[in-house]
Amino acid sequence: MRRTKQASPLITLSINGNDHMAVVKPFTTLLQVLRDQLGLTGAKCGCNQGVCGACTVLIDGKPARACLSLAANCTGRQIVTIEGVGSVAQPSRVQQAFIDAGAVQCGFCTPGMVLSSESLLAENPKPSVAEIRTALSGNLCRCTGYKRIIEAVRLASKAEAQP
Amino acid sequence: MTVHTPIVGTSVPKRDAKEKVLGQARYIADMTRPGMLHGAILQSHVAHARILGYDVSEALKVPGVHAVLTGDDVGDFRMGAFVKDETAIAKEKILYLGEPVAAVAADDEETARYAARLIKVAVEELPGVFSPEEALAPGAPILHEKLESYFKVFPAVCGGNLLSQTEITEGDVAKAWAECDIIVEGEYETQPQYHLSMEPCGALSEIDVDGRITLWSANQSVFRVQANVCESLGLPMSRLRCLTPKVGAGFGNKMEPHIQPICVALTMKTGRPVKMILNRAEDMETVRARHPFKVKMKTGAKKDGTLVAREVEALLDGGAFGDDSPGVLGYSLLMARGPYRIPNARCFGRVAYTNKMRFGAFRGFGNPQVSLAGETQIDQIADKLGIDHFEIRLKNALKDGERWFGGQLLKSNGLIECIEKARAASESVKHLKSQAAKGKLRGRGIAVGGHISGLLATGAIVRLLEDGTAVLNTGAVDIGQGSDTVLTQLCAETLRLPLDKVALASPDTDGSPYNWGTTASRVTYTTGRAVVAASKDVERQIKDHAAAMLNTTPDQLELRDGGFVGIKGSNTQLPYLAVSARAHWGVGGPIVGTNTLVFDTPTIDPKHGAATGLPFGQIGVFSFCAMVCEVDIDETTGKVEPVRAWYAADVGKAINPRLVEVQMEGGFVQGMGFALTEELVWEGPRLVNPNLRDYKAPTMLDAPYDIHTQIVEHPEPDGPCGAKGVGEISLVPVPAAIANAIADAAGIHLTQLPFTPERVLNAMLAKKS
Amino acid sequence: MEPSFHQPRTLDAALKLLASHEDARPLAGGATLVAMMNAGLAEPPVLVSLRHIKELKAVKALPDGGLRLGAMILHRELASEKRLKGGFAVLREAAGQVAVPPVRNMGTLGGATAFADPAADYPPALAALGARIEAASTKGRRSIAADEFFLDWYAQALEPGEMIAAITLPAWPKNAVGVYEKLAKVTGDLAIVSIALVLAQDKGVVTHLGVAVGGCGPKPVTAPEAARAMIGKPIDDAAIARLGQALAEAADPVDDVRASADYRRLVLPRMLAKAFVRASLPAKERR
Repeated sequence: MRRTKQASPLITLSINGNDHMAVVKPFTTLLQVLRDQLGLTGAKCGCNQGVCGACTVLIDGKPARACLSLAANCTGRQIVTIEGVGSVAQPSRVQQAFIDAGAVQCGFCTPGMVLSSESLLAENPKPSVAEIRTALSGNLCRCTGYKRIIEAVRLASKAEAQP
Repeated sequence: MTVHTPIVGTSVPKRDAKEKVLGQARYIADMTRPGMLHGAILQSHVAHARILGYDVSEALKVPGVHAVLTGDDVGDFRMGAFVKDETAIAKEKILYLGEPVAAVAADDEETARYAARLIKVAVEELPGVFSPEEALAPGAPILHEKLESYFKVFPAVCGGNLLSQTEITEGDVAKAWAECDIIVEGEYETQPQYHLSMEPCGALSEIDVDGRITLWSANQSVFRVQANVCESLGLPMSRLRCLTPKVGAGFGNKMEPHIQPICVALTMKTGRPVKMILNRAEDMETVRARHPFKVKMKTGAKKDGTLVAREVEALLDGGAFGDDSPGVLGYSLLMARGPYRIPNARCFGRVAYTNKMRFGAFRGFGNPQVSLAGETQIDQIADKLGIDHFEIRLKNALKDGERWFGGQLLKSNGLIECIEKARAASESVKHLKSQAAKGKLRGRGIAVGGHISGLLATGAIVRLLEDGTAVLNTGAVDIGQGSDTVLTQLCAETLRLPLDKVALASPDTDGSPYNWGTTASRVTYTTGRAVVAASKDVERQIKDHAAAMLNTTPDQLELRDGGFVGIKGSNTQLPYLAVSARAHWGVGGPIVGTNTLVFDTPTIDPKHGAATGLPFGQIGVFSFCAMVCEVDIDETTGKVEPVRAWYAADVGKAINPRLVEVQMEGGFVQGMGFALTEELVWEGPRLVNPNLRDYKAPTMLDAPYDIHTQIVEHPEPDGPCGAKGVGEISLVPVPAAIANAIADAAGIHLTQLPFTPERVLNAMLAKKS
Repeated sequence: MEPSFHQPRTLDAALKLLASHEDARPLAGGATLVAMMNAGLAEPPVLVSLRHIKELKAVKALPDGGLRLGAMILHRELASEKRLKGGFAVLREAAGQVAVPPVRNMGTLGGATAFADPAADYPPALAALGARIEAASTKGRRSIAADEFFLDWYAQALEPGEMIAAITLPAWPKNAVGVYEKLAKVTGDLAIVSIALVLAQDKGVVTHLGVAVGGCGPKPVTAPEAARAMIGKPIDDAAIARLGQALAEAADPVDDVRASADYRRLVLPRMLAKAFVRASLPAKERR
């Protein structure tokens, strides 16, 4: 990556509903800003090529690759990271379903999986197995064999359906 | 009269699930230390060369660079699991393209990476060898000229580029062929598979004023990290403390060292904390991968399907360093007879050094490769004799009280139940070839397997805290599979404490008892044994105290749910708090239970078998499995699509059934990737696809949703609550089952992994013509 | 010169910035360019983000039945674009198979087309449709036919300072059917072979035909003469086989990590036949 000596511009990013200042070079990715400047390490760097999905965040509600998003190009967008979903006291229904369904193994893919699932259920509260598999096909998992993750999304979708 | 709610055998959620779904679990890349520098490596551009010198001046001029490390900075110290042949960083020679030859520590990663590229290494290039055949040919250039002088942990048969050679025999194969009515033969070839743990490898080390170093890293054993770093840097082990953050999975790739020795060397050179995180390409080019195998196998049987003889010759590519190669070779040969009664068997193999990245441990440890050959030959024999594929396996399957290849007595063996369960489950769904979608061929295949859990040493410490809760400390690294949960369940069950009253200490070479590692499907079985024994030690001490306090004898006492010790048949009881208070403040001292053990059942019984060059004498107890896989083959393209799988595994006792099931499901998909799409491709010296764009593992859409698992429980007598391992057995039969399903669908017998559309279509067309 | 990053609001402003440096690059969705930057394979000194330029996101039906698609339309949007029906459906199907959903939320028609990866999904679809690529620069606009646009591996006809503003699909008969057949190792991967087929027929007789193949050489493979030879004739296996043969001969595939050249030549006509079968099915059974 190109090394620059000149002062880098300060930008404002909307992350998890709050404005955050970040110092970025043109080539700085959103993933670098989240992890290195803002301490939001829930998004992982698995390949830095947009293939593995470990860095998935929601940009304007849609799953996107933080590693392929230049930070400077994200101003004015609503970014949601895993830190913006649920809380220790109250995990989201998707997060709770991942726990309950046994969908968590090493956990490296989990934040991305959860975010892709949140976005799917927001758009399609009762997805079929086929729709779940398609929606999450951009998130690699090497531990679970995927079945429990599908079960978790199904479980969350049932939980969503309850008043 | 007291009610006991079991904890063992229940699918409690994994201890770390909540922090992981919240994104709060911390992995090595998420860590930071005050004053921390970032390290980066320079990788070699040649595959085999003598290093003549370094010019690091340009790198050192870059503002923000603190140190450059080269082979000149490390002494001639060598590490290795079996043959100590590997230096911390390339020294004197470069042995594979991509090998770390220099490293930089700088203020930030970008600067470190930039500066690393400015280092110049003068080399005298040497001719390389890129296959085991080339490596073992007369006159081949030799990688390790000093091989003879290297320390070896076993009497290795080695020399030149031959890294290890092993032979295991039983009966008299040469004579036995004459007794066979039918003989099948074949040559099989398997490809290198990349572990692709979602987390790339990384390390972070720091040094204190006394020169003592603390090292965190992505690993499967803090103790192996400690041993390897100290061996490769010539440090006394007392100078290095190893810890672990959360680990983003390990499938063998994080057991032996990766970047840790270089990271520590940079910390020693700079006096500063240094963090090194491999990018995906570096992880693919410098860590390790599954061994490519070439296997010649011959199996003979009588007309009634009774197996009589098997002969195996394996040739493995070991890559540039020994790593786990001798172990993988020896283990694969031990597995090559399969879980069958074959009275005459000879399994012979060699592994050679080549100028490629090292090959090493990967879930299955050589077993999936030889099982592909063995299990497809069983089907071929059955077909030729007109015997059902399940029946021939049931007929020849080892039973309780029989012996594994080499002579070890099997004390628990649920293989037959596994076969029957997988059969019943799969047959409950009618196998209709006509159910395949238009343009597809449908087939089913069965494969079975056995695999060990065991090996080497482990320990556990259970301490009763002042308030009567407990803390368990084993040093076993949970790599995501859930051993922290399982070990806690075992401790809680033994001590009758609720799960949330048992804390778990994080692995720490300073404070944890020894644990060889999270590998060999061993943690539940070996560490579990130590946990139960240490917990029982605590139980004994609790009872001793309570007996004195209640004026009775320990044998009259029992532990009760919730952390009470009471007199049998009476309501009289004490909370652990009272016992622990007495121990802490009055009599005897704090209650600490300990246990350590080493797996000590011999693998070879000279009355039954013989072995030479086998690098381990005491391997483990046996788990078993059977699976049926259903596939569709696209007639247009030859692409194979797994549709369903039915799995049954004998795990002795499922401490946490759901975690067992996830191992089976995950093992299937990783095995399916091995069978169908995954391959590290070398063109000569160069790995051409070190990135996830060109290396393809199954996505959620490629993996079948319908993976049906069943747990079979034939208790291992000395296992914790009867448990044995499941981590690897889940992957072992997958390529063979898929091969057999392809044969069922299309009548073709494939012998080379992966089963790409190309190989499948070509074989289908060849059969037609 | 230090790199600079710009987010102009108008196409004219963007074009001026692109003209300011010979290595200036437009940034569309970033799905490819940022990946290359991360791998150290691209270091554009001037990056011009196109995300604020509204006119690049428009889909416009043309009076003659054609369709003009702005360069910044996302793969996801194209994959569910209702106006991509009939023959245009080949592009809709192709868009739905570009990479994986999160990448389809980022990547754009223009960006992917400009990358000109012959194993990617748009090049054959655009070639089969006879699409025209509308290139813009400070010097003006020009329209380039797809088969003149894709030149070589990752190389297209854009001049320095030029970018894709839109892609125009010419009208196809109302009864035309477009299908995209893709063979890949796993979901979301580049194609080993892909077939883009646009077919209109009248009682089993071919009236219009567009066909192009991906993954089989430096650019989308076409066989114009063999395709023309099918016009006015009944669709039969022999005719499809002849077209498949002609495409296989026109193909110039290589051995790579996905498959061998031989296999690609072997499977191409087989997949073509399958594409014809699917294109001839009633709409509901087409998938």
